[in-house]
Formats: sequence, structure tokens, C-alpha cells
Amino acid sequence: MISTALPHDGLLIFAKRECETCAMVEPVIGELARLGLPVAVLTQDDPSFPSVIKAFDDTALEQSFRFEVEGVPTVIRMEKGQEVARTFGWNRAEWGRLSGLQGLGPGLPAIRPGCGSKTHEPGVWEELVAKYGDSGLRSRRIPIGEWDDEIEACFDRGWSDGLPVVPPTDARIMRMLEGTSRNANEIVGHIPPNLAPVTVEKIAINAVLAGCRPEYMPVVLAALEAALEPEATMHGLLCSTCFSGPIVVVNGPLAREIGMNSGINCLGQGNRANATIGRALQLIIRNVGGGRPGEIDRAVLGGPGKYTFCFAEDESDPTWMPLSVARGIAAGKNAVTLFQGDGIQGFIDQRSRTPEQLTKSLALSLLAVGNWKLCEFTNAMLVLVPEHYAIYRDAGWDRGRITSALHAAMVRSGEDVIQGALGVGEGIDVRRKDELVNKFWPEGLLIVRAGGQAGLFSAICAGWTGGRFREESKTVTREIHP
Amino acid sequence: MKHGLAMRDPTAEITSDLRSRAAPLTGLSGKTIALMDIGKMRADEFIDRLEWLCHDRGVATRRYRKPTNTRVAPRELIKEIAAHCQAVVIALSDCGSCTSCSTHDLSDLDKKGLPGVSVLTDEFRQAFEAQKSAIGLDAAAVYVPHPMQNRTTKELHAFADQSIDAILAAILASHSAA
Repeated sequence: MISTALPHDGLLIFAKRECETCAMVEPVIGELARLGLPVAVLTQDDPSFPSVIKAFDDTALEQSFRFEVEGVPTVIRMEKGQEVARTFGWNRAEWGRLSGLQGLGPGLPAIRPGCGSKTHEPGVWEELVAKYGDSGLRSRRIPIGEWDDEIEACFDRGWSDGLPVVPPTDARIMRMLEGTSRNANEIVGHIPPNLAPVTVEKIAINAVLAGCRPEYMPVVLAALEAALEPEATMHGLLCSTCFSGPIVVVNGPLAREIGMNSGINCLGQGNRANATIGRALQLIIRNVGGGRPGEIDRAVLGGPGKYTFCFAEDESDPTWMPLSVARGIAAGKNAVTLFQGDGIQGFIDQRSRTPEQLTKSLALSLLAVGNWKLCEFTNAMLVLVPEHYAIYRDAGWDRGRITSALHAAMVRSGEDVIQGALGVGEGIDVRRKDELVNKFWPEGLLIVRAGGQAGLFSAICAGWTGGRFREESKTVTREIHP
Repeated sequence: MKHGLAMRDPTAEITSDLRSRAAPLTGLSGKTIALMDIGKMRADEFIDRLEWLCHDRGVATRRYRKPTNTRVAPRELIKEIAAHCQAVVIALSDCGSCTSCSTHDLSDLDKKGLPGVSVLTDEFRQAFEAQKSAIGLDAAAVYVPHPMQNRTTKELHAFADQSIDAILAAILASHSAA
């Protein structure tokens, strides 16, 4: 509340010592006080300033917040406890109008602008709203003990994937919500397995837990919306006994703006955006949806990708068509692609010199996805590194040609891969013995170009077994909106 | 107890904001209950009787005592209890610091899979509730009359007689035995 210690009639002057204009008007404040005008100076930084009269300590910024002070010095004229006029900075005419005294500060220039209020320094405003105002947040408030460790408190409540999370305080959540133009109360969808409604606010809370920056919010929202598309089969994916989880590939200028990694070690650790966007998606599924390992998440082994698996495609080579464009999004637009997949299987080939050799070589490794003898059973994502792509590019091969050549190189006789063939029980239906069979559905092989500039080491991410239901479970691409 | 930082719930809020306690025991046969003396004066007299009452009912127990009621139990003690017992009774809290520390002990043992119950004097009902919410555990408690420090041993034994059924019920079934 507004302090009752302040004059109901008179002038309130918000100031700070570090502001040169405030220091300059110190004698004017003394002049006002000497002339008997009720004056209260509310100091934001140093209560010993000004020296001419005793200052009201507003280092907690409560009064500055309540009076919505945007700069210092701000002079407010109060009458019967109500504000009737205000001015900002030093302006002899304005100070004269508010005080009723002419010719103040005779040695000073007529006008001098002031400085910003401490209330508007980075990160301060949200803390003040949380403390003195109305955050507007609707989620249940969870107070912890005065001496309790907030990181441990988050672990104890089961909100973590096993790594520490950032405690979701009101100020952090409000800052996170600044990252999206969407209303905090909007329901984005229903999160499996509990099919619990999720609001933008809940998404922001989990993005805070994950360690996101506000500017990642549009990507988190788009990734979540992609996961909630029925053909993304998120429900089955998260409950699966398989290894899989959502793998998120980000395309477009936004990926570069928010500092996502599409280069060296882009499938690994070390980049905040890559790490936390994928993690936020998993935490939403855990916390809002209730998809917790050992309960409804029944993965027999799981995989490290279930902490987070998110990276950007390297779009720096103009000869390469980005994944999002290949999947129908206009060039230059931001998009996420959600692929249901596992961790990586390394592909090593330092000897191939022609596209034909490399294609055969890649095909051999791709055939191993899931099981060498299973066909049209999972999808796959090939992360092609720049040096491998260069072999294709230099021969004039583009995405379309590489994809079709790889499919063609993986066609096999049914008799080699039917159940029981080669003394291995696993395999395709014996009735397909006389067919020529494909390893993947025509749309089931995704190629992403990413990775450091040196190293002939591409990666294959096996797809989830749900991919065998071709019409039911599909890769989903969605445009990112602000 | 004062609250510190406030956070917002990241879940769908379809369950309590307190985590459920470790599953209560389905029976006492073959199980050993830890009787944990928090180190507060007179607690041993209460626990003496509790021990007798358990043995009278054929329930196996092991006694433990932490060095001081003013601190949480040493890690080694928690490990020791968890290694040998399947449930725990913590007694007897009749002050603010012992209520706070013993609720943490209850939570630490709960995380090791031991359903437990804390015995407190009824003056600390609110403190226990506040500590529960701060720790985030839907912990169980049984209350005896306050004050207890000025009671005779006979009176303390009578408290044990009156609360033994509720204590065992808290380990065995619903946590709302209080």
C-alpha cells in the first residue's frame, strides 16, 4: 500500500543518488523544504541522499512501484492524498507549476532530463509485481519453508527429470510469459497420458523449470502443439516400452536468433536453447500430463534423449533444402519438426568418394535400424554432416535425389528378410517372401543437415516402432508463431 | 514456522500438492518397526511403554535415538533404520525445533520407502501442518496432550496406551489416523 508516512498534501520527489540530475537538484529540494512546503524525497538507492532533508527509504522500491515511477527525479503533487500532477526530470517551469514557487534553482539550466527508475532495471519489475502487485498467475501457490532449499523442494515434489530445475517463482514465470504474445490463460491442449488441460501459464512454469529463456517460448509452444497433433502419437510414445521420445528439429531464422546449435556437437550437450527447449517439452509431459517413468512411462531402457533431444538444422548451405521446406513450410519461415525417435547410431565412412559409394554405405547402416530384418516397421532420421553432404553436393545431388537413391539402395528380396531367414526368428511376414521390400515407407526417411564442418561421421536416429502404423503415427511439422 | 520462497505448481493440479507417503504396510507380521527417539527429554519414557505395547501385540521393534532433537538425524542413522526396519514411529515432539527436524526425518525415511508416523503434542498440530506443506509430504501424525514435560512416568505411559492403536493404524492404513 501507499505509505501513510508520506504527505497527503505537498510534493513527493522520487530520486536516486547515482542520477546526475537528482544530484544537481539537491539544492532545489533544500530550497523547497526551507520555504516550508511539505516535501518527501523517496530515495531508490541510498537513503543518505539527499543530505538537505531526511529521505524516505524506498530502496525496496515499493512506493516507486505503486506510483508507477518511470524515471528520476519524478515530482508528484499530492492533494488530499491524491496525485494531481507530476513531472519528470528537471524543468524549472514544471517544478514551479507543481510547487507554486517561481525561479527555483536559479543557477541551473532550464531543463535537464533525468535517469531511468530502478524499478525498470532488467528483472526488477516482475519481482516488484510478484511482491507488491497482482501477478495474475492462476496456478496453485506452493510456499516452502524459510530455510528450505528451493532446488531440493522441487525434487521433493517430483517436478524434476532427475537434474536440478529452476524454481518457478512468480517473477520468473512472468518473465517467461513475456516471451509469447499468447494469453496466459489460453488452453493449448490436453497433455497425455492424463489428458490434463495445459494453459500457456503452465507451459511457462515448466519452461522456467527447464531453464528456458523467454525468447524460447514460441519454440516450446510450437513443439508442444506438434506433440499434441493426433498423428504425433505422443500418448503412445511416452508410455512405450521402447527407447523413444520426441526429437525436435528447429528450422528458420529464429533458431539462429535464439542461439540454437546446428553445428559442432549439436546433438550433444552445451547449448542452452537446444538443451532446455527439448527438456521443457519432456517436463510438460511429466508434470502436466503425468507421464512419469516407472508409472505410466514403461520404457524398458529409455534413452538419454528422453531428457532432451532438440537441435537446429544448418541452413547455411544454399544448395540444401531445409527439412521444414521439404515438409511444406515456406522458405524463411520458422518451424519445428517432431520426430519420434531414439538416440543416435553413429555412421562412420571416411573412404567413400562418390555419391554412389556413400549411398550404398549409408544404406548398409540404415538397414540396421530396429532390426536388419524388419521393414516398414520404424521410420528413421539421418543427420547428414557437412562433409558427407559435400560429396553429394559436389556431384550435383540434392535432397530429393539423395533420399530416393537411399530408398532404392535399401530394397531387398523378401526371402532374405522374412521371419526365420538366415536362422533369425525376427523379420517380415513370410507371405512377403517373393516381394521386393523397402526398408522404410517412402516418407519414413528424414534427412537433416547438421554438425561441425570437420568429420565424416553422420548419425542415424532410429524411429519409434509406432511408425509401423503408417497412417496413424507420423512425423509432424508446425510453423512457429510468436 | 515461517514460509520462504513461493513457487507455482507446474502440474495439472489434479492431485494434492503434497506427495503421497510411502505405501503403508499391509500387515505387521515379519516386519520390524523402528522406534525413533528424537532425543528430547522424556521421549524415552513414552517409547519404553510403546515398545512394551508393541511386543505385547507381537510386533517386532528396534530402538534408535538421535543425538539431539534440535537437528535432523545423521545420514548414517537414517541409513541404519532403513536397512533394518520397514516402518518408523518418531516420538515425541513437543517444541518447534523438534517438530521441524522430526518431520524432516520422517520425510527422509519416507523417501527410503518407510511409511512413518510422528508423535507430537497437540500444541504443535499447526507447526506440523506447516512443516508438511513446506516439505511437500502428506505426512502422518498422532497427537498426545500438551504439555508432557511436567507429567509423571505413569501419565506418559498412559499417553502411549491411549495412542498405540492410532500409531499402528497410521503405519498400516489411512494416514489420517490422527
